[in-house]
Parts: sequence; C-alpha cells; structure tokens
Amino acid sequence: MNLLTEGFAAIVLVTIALIALVVLRPSLMEARGGRVLAFLSLFILPLLVTTLGVAAQVEHSKSTTFCLSCHVMEPYGKSLHVDDSSYVPAQHYQNNRVPRDKACFTCHTDYTMFGDFKSKARGLRHVYVNYIGTIPKQIKLYEPYNNRECLHCHAGARSFEESDLHKEIRADLGMNKTSCLECHDTIHNAHGLANVKIWKEEKP
Amino acid sequence: MTVAQPSLLRRLRLSGLLVSLGLIVEAVTLFWSHPTAFLAFLLLGGTLVAAGVLLYLFSIASYPSPPQQAHPGNT
Repeated sequence: MNLLTEGFAAIVLVTIALIALVVLRPSLMEARGGRVLAFLSLFILPLLVTTLGVAAQVEHSKSTTFCLSCHVMEPYGKSLHVDDSSYVPAQHYQNNRVPRDKACFTCHTDYTMFGDFKSKARGLRHVYVNYIGTIPKQIKLYEPYNNRECLHCHAGARSFEESDLHKEIRADLGMNKTSCLECHDTIHNAHGLANVKIWKEEKP
Repeated sequence: MTVAQPSLLRRLRLSGLLVSLGLIVEAVTLFWSHPTAFLAFLLLGGTLVAAGVLLYLFSIASYPSPPQQAHPGNT
C-alpha cells in the first residue's frame, strides 16, 4: 500500500464521517457553518477524493502485477524469469535495469510529451479488448518498437556508447532507421517458453 | 435553510448515502490491482459519487429561497 492509497483511504473516512455528521444532525445546516460543512462534505470532498482516486488508479495501472493480472499476459510475465541473458526483457528485469515493480510500463510507455497519456489510452483499449472484444491469438505491438524507448535509458551510458558496433550505427539508431531489435531480437518469445530454464531468485 | 422540510432532508440523506457508498467502492478498489478494480472504480464508484453529488446540488438548487425582507427606506 503506497502513500497515495493510504492518503486516499484517510480522506474517504474523513469525508464519510462528515457526511454522517451532516445527515444525522440536520439541525447543523440551519447555521451558515453547517451549510458550508454540507457543501464541503457532499460536493467538494467527493470530487477531490474521486480525482485523487483516479490518480491512484493510474499509478496502480503502471505496476507489473497489474499488467500481469490478466490471464493473457501470464506468458509475458514468465518471460521475465527466463534464465537466459539473450532474452532482453528477462535480462533487464533480473538485473534491475528497469524497476521490477514497473517493468512492463518502463519499456512499453512512450517517452514523449504525451507518452503517459497515450499509454493509458492503450491500456483502456486493452481493457476493452479483454472484457468485450476478441483477444488476438498472437499479441502484437500496435506500432513497431521505437528505439526512443531504449535510448531513453541507454543513450549516454558508457557500455552502450563505447561499444564498437553501436558506434558504427549510432546515428541510425538515434533516427530509428535501424531498430535495436534487429540485433537484440529475442524479446518475450511468449509462445516458446515451454522448455526454457526459469531463473529462481535467491532471496538474501 | 430550515431542514424541517422532509423532502429536502430525504434527498440530503439519499445523497449522503450515495456519496458514501461510492467512496467506499472507490476505496476498496484501490486495494486490488486488477483492471476489474479500475472499471469498478470508474463505473460503479464514480457513478454513485456523481449521482450523490448531483442529487445534493439539485436538492439545494430546488430549495425555495426565503422571502426577501423589505428595507424600510425602499417603500
């Protein structure tokens, strides 16, 4: 439970207590202060709480557990635990190159001005497809993976910039002419995980 | 505002009930990380809160205003 959720729960309790006070002691509203209290508890606070709740829900939707809570995403979650460093998501996840609690979001958001908004719009589309539409047999990205998302972290990193191979094609990578996935081509491989070795994390 | 009017009181109570239920639904959904929780938050919690707030606004907007007292100099 994060701070936002705790804060939300606290404000909900306070709001319900104020509503109960106003509704159970209606004589309070005969004074101006009571009417202000009613306006606060039945109008201002509910709207504020709902706005905060939307923010908390959006924050929740970035979590790895949220993405993997849908049955169809299970193989993608499994692919994060493959014991093979050629699997790009597994290598990033296991070596903390992405925050584990936001692994999916970190690689699949757009690092642009309205990238978060676009990600959420895509997420709503996923929810629609999951509940009402038809889930495709082969899940694909809506658009080819953009190098911008990789370079958001890797650009400027010594191991990336000093690699001879990267130096040769650095400009093309920056302009998205050559995809990072042309060489780093083992991604989730979600339908080929039947016989792979799974990494078992040793807890310290 | 006198709350002796039973219709106003009834509406305020119903409004309070709807808002409280909506807030409880919204709070409960935050403890569950699943798209269903997100939908329940928006469609159930959001609708209950919106209905309660609108009912409250309607109650106070439709409440008859008390008659204005005439100022002695304005006659």
